[in-house]
Amino acid sequence: MRRALLAITGLAAGTTMLVVLKGSPGASQVVPDRPVAEAPVAPSTPDPTPAPPGASANPLGSAPTGSAPTGSAPAKPGAKAGAGPTPDATPGSTARPTTAAPKASTGAPKPATTRTVTGPVVSYRYGSLQVRITLNGTRIVDATALGMPQGGQSGLRSDDVQGSYSGTAGEVVARQSANLNTVSGATYTSDAYRQSLQAALDWA
Amino acid sequence: MKFVSVTQQDTSATGRGAGTPPPSGGRPAAPYPGLPRRGPGGRRALTALFWLGLVAAVLPWWLDTPAGSLTDTTELLTAAGRITGLVAGYLLLVQVLMMSRLGVLERWAGGERLSRVHRDLGATLLVAVLAHLALLVVGYAGLERKSIFREVGSLLGDYADMVSAFVAAGIMVAVGVTAVRAVRRRLPYELWYHLHLVSYLALLLGYGHQFSNGAQLYEPGPVRTGWVAAYLLVVAALVWGRVISPLAFNLRHRLRVTDVVAESPDTISIYLTGHRLNQIDLLGGQYFRWRFLNPGCWWQSHPFSVSAAGNSHWLRLTVKVVGAHTAELRDLAKGTRVWAVGPSGTFTAAHRTRERALLIAGGSGIAPLRAMLEELPPGTALIYRARTRADVLLHRELDWLARARHTAVWYVIGSRDDPGPRQVMNPEGLRRLVPDLTRRDVYLCGPGGLVDEAVRVLRRAGVPRRQIHLATFEL
Repeated sequence: MRRALLAITGLAAGTTMLVVLKGSPGASQVVPDRPVAEAPVAPSTPDPTPAPPGASANPLGSAPTGSAPTGSAPAKPGAKAGAGPTPDATPGSTARPTTAAPKASTGAPKPATTRTVTGPVVSYRYGSLQVRITLNGTRIVDATALGMPQGGQSGLRSDDVQGSYSGTAGEVVARQSANLNTVSGATYTSDAYRQSLQAALDWA
Repeated sequence: MKFVSVTQQDTSATGRGAGTPPPSGGRPAAPYPGLPRRGPGGRRALTALFWLGLVAAVLPWWLDTPAGSLTDTTELLTAAGRITGLVAGYLLLVQVLMMSRLGVLERWAGGERLSRVHRDLGATLLVAVLAHLALLVVGYAGLERKSIFREVGSLLGDYADMVSAFVAAGIMVAVGVTAVRAVRRRLPYELWYHLHLVSYLALLLGYGHQFSNGAQLYEPGPVRTGWVAAYLLVVAALVWGRVISPLAFNLRHRLRVTDVVAESPDTISIYLTGHRLNQIDLLGGQYFRWRFLNPGCWWQSHPFSVSAAGNSHWLRLTVKVVGAHTAELRDLAKGTRVWAVGPSGTFTAAHRTRERALLIAGGSGIAPLRAMLEELPPGTALIYRARTRADVLLHRELDWLARARHTAVWYVIGSRDDPGPRQVMNPEGLRRLVPDLTRRDVYLCGPGGLVDEAVRVLRRAGVPRRQIHLATFEL
């Protein structure tokens, strides 16, 4: 019995140690975040650098230059960008609060024509996806995810997420933000979708 | 009640009616030097293999998870849930493997040790499974911003194979609870045993969710392949150890009961014959799991030591009648077929670390030691504790062996508080009988209380732990 207790203690200690070892470089993680923040942008179609005229009010767009007014904002892209190249980390709660940003930028003068913006390719557990949104002015009128895995269990997840988020009547259009409910049973896919969508919104 | 401190001649005074005739049967005692040693190397290799496997099970998680990616509580919980899940999956395989009766395991690690480890690891496995379940439910609930209950509902409803996984966890909890000593004592052994067999279902039901939802096992690749291979290996070991190898053994040797002899009012010896008995790789002190194929007994199997060294004429087991099953063994008819699985155990002369040995027996615990005596070198000492003179078993054989192999035999008669046992069962008493005590391997077999006490005394007398061998069989 004593050995069983020892083994259980060992299990608890070992698990804690592993998690802490993986989690602990978090302190140093903040520093490499800034350069990384631009990394997911690179492979995507729209370049963030010409964005400033349109997106100056956007806290995320200005994050690399360290905008003063949004106190908590720099931390958010940090956590999010850290997740970009790593499918494991789910942006989760950190991504959502920032999504009011695109709406805030409605005041900016925009030609009232439709255009499409494509988010970065986000790879996740079961594949990778890229969200393309269609905007009329600043209003999202359509959204779709490209390149999601088809077939099998992953395909079902793709269909679930596509079905509830995308389309002219989907949740993206309804909410006008990346603040979407996670599709149950498809956490990774939902997170990847929101991540790509958020970036697309930031550039829009 | 007196302390008898003499060898062979004196003890023949203990007159008993029925009893085993001197077993020699014209057979000379096995010549010395006897058998090659089997050191602890095999056991150490198995232990190393276990730890290596554990590392290999958790390694995929370690490699998949980038450093610093666990930023908030839900991610930490999910990560811990994954680790415990991988550990639990691995431990379950080890648990099943340890009970596969695989010859290598039974002879290198020994069935007694395996069942002890199985017990401790079982408790650990249960905790790992519950931790895995709890951590992931809470972690996912945080991630998906749901209440715990809605998260459980969504896991059951939306994720593949999760219903069977929850059933598997339920089975493990049930098996774990019935294995708690206090609960188990209230259950009949056979009921408990068959309940315990249900845990194979857990292996089956828990299989699917690891691959359809396991973060490290979802994608095809070496990790997934390796995990499936581990499952296949364990199933193969199970089939080999439980079906093929016993089948081969019993078809080859075709054991039958030839005689049942009363050794004392509550102890019997069962003699078996069969084909090619000299080809059984049997060491004195090892045991088989016996199944007597008659209408009353065929459905249960029990481990009993062989009470005489291997020979080409017969096998014998000496059994104390304590329960319903052993009582039925008294009435075994001649010619009853016997299904045996084994031999197993590391309680043998070949596993000693020193040249000489001291054997301490209590009651019917003499059986494996009696078999071992034939394979130990001259100069061996035997201390035989028994409550009364009538409880001394096989004493004519012991006397014969003492003469033939220059073994010193002390019969220590009386209950624990009688002067005789009290004089012997302390460090000074043992040293008086066996001056070179600390340079001997000590083999203990008998009732739990006696063995525990003897271990304490031996440790106080300075006998290193690795020189003490126990045959307490607990399952």
